[in-house]
Amino acid sequence: MDFITKIIELFSTEKYMSSIWKGLETTLVISVLAALLGLVLGTIVAFVTIANDTKWMKIPKIICKIYITVIRGTPMALQLFIMAYVIFAIRGFPQVITATIAFGINSGAYVAESIRAGILSVDIGQTEAGRALGLPGRITMLRIVIPQAIKNVIPAIGNELIALIKETSIVSMIGMYDLTMAAKIIGSGNNMASYIVPMAVVAMFYLAIVYILTFGIKKIERRLRASDRR
Amino acid sequence: MIDAKNIYKSFGSLQVLRGVSTEIKDGEKVAIIGPSGSGKSTFLRCMNLLEIPSAGEVWLENDLITTCDPTLHPELSALSGRDLKRARAAFEKEHRLDINLARQKMGMVFQHFNLFNNLTVLQNLMLAPVQLKLKTKEEAEETARALLRRIGLEDKANVYPSTLSGGQKQRIAIVRALAMNPKVMLFDEPTSALDPEMVGEVLDLIRELADEGMTMVIVTHEMGFAREVADRVLFMSDGVITEEGTPAELFDNPKNERTKQFLRCVL
Repeated sequence: MDFITKIIELFSTEKYMSSIWKGLETTLVISVLAALLGLVLGTIVAFVTIANDTKWMKIPKIICKIYITVIRGTPMALQLFIMAYVIFAIRGFPQVITATIAFGINSGAYVAESIRAGILSVDIGQTEAGRALGLPGRITMLRIVIPQAIKNVIPAIGNELIALIKETSIVSMIGMYDLTMAAKIIGSGNNMASYIVPMAVVAMFYLAIVYILTFGIKKIERRLRASDRR
Repeated sequence: MIDAKNIYKSFGSLQVLRGVSTEIKDGEKVAIIGPSGSGKSTFLRCMNLLEIPSAGEVWLENDLITTCDPTLHPELSALSGRDLKRARAAFEKEHRLDINLARQKMGMVFQHFNLFNNLTVLQNLMLAPVQLKLKTKEEAEETARALLRRIGLEDKANVYPSTLSGGQKQRIAIVRALAMNPKVMLFDEPTSALDPEMVGEVLDLIRELADEGMTMVIVTHEMGFAREVADRVLFMSDGVITEEGTPAELFDNPKNERTKQFLRCVL
């Protein structure tokens, strides 16, 4: 019973709720901006990695491969520390930007791999048929391959976005005030004197965000699949 | 129409074609037969550069579509180093045709149809002519509908390929190629992926095209069809043309031991 009264207390106390709203705002801002950065970066990197081997593409391709390998091969927390304490170790530099860049760059590597896999999953015969009709590679890619690849890519991108949102909880490690940090601070206060209650509440917030996102992705997927059978 | 000169093709260490030459004349129907792995399909795909030959040249009418192979030109083979490079570049500048332009003149039909899954049947037929600005949308649609009417599938204009049977898909793939008004059609085992009861409708359409005088090259396992439609049959094995001749010569009176053995197995 104590648990429930404590939850009611948390929701009805102005001070606690304003902590949670503040944390939620940070979590959402970092997630949305990092997701956008990750999608743009990932798309560019994916197209560089699948481009034909020409003289001009050689060096960009190597850079992209190193980027993907390093980012996927090192812990997110470490990348965040390097961003915060090495690259942007400037007094007064907004932490939100630091975190956004760190998470955006991290997400970009995973998105790039998802998009690459999605494009490669489209049957090579589709490309061959386009090219055999005399269509240039660019038009074949744009009109035939990409529209089919998107359907395959959406679920993987959805996964990545979900992982990204939850992973932002580690920004508390560089002292940022996000949802997880809010739970920790509320829990360590004298009045609440319990971690389980604020942590449970914050878990519900994460769950709600992820649930809404999943719902949106499912909706997009369904719309895209509509053209499969008609 | 198409002149393939001494084509070689290797995939890594595997030599698939080892010096294949043939000339497809205007209006000629050529069937390519042979055991699997003999290089028939690879040779066909070299003609429109879906595979790029390792050596040799392909000419479409009077245009070179591969790179220049100096060993085929006595005046070039004497040169070396920078001179050779310059002479090759000059030769290609004079004779070489952009591959996308060349492919517009060569229709290709695949074993697995390869209709564009994200487009309706009508859009499949209209995409290339419209994108390449050969026709306006209205003209392309008119042609497309006329072609669909011809094969009796006008009612399928607005459906997606996934709802069609194999035979319907392949016939649509054939008219998709025809929508570009090609001068020659390349068929890569057009009936191999079909259920037996649908082979007939596809062969009928190909036969119709043949009767209209379309130049065509057909890689096929349908010996009866090859015999009936082809003016000339090429038998390939181990990456070379082992024997060629009219259907009567090749089927009734094969000379090469390899050909005899193959025909014993399939006839």
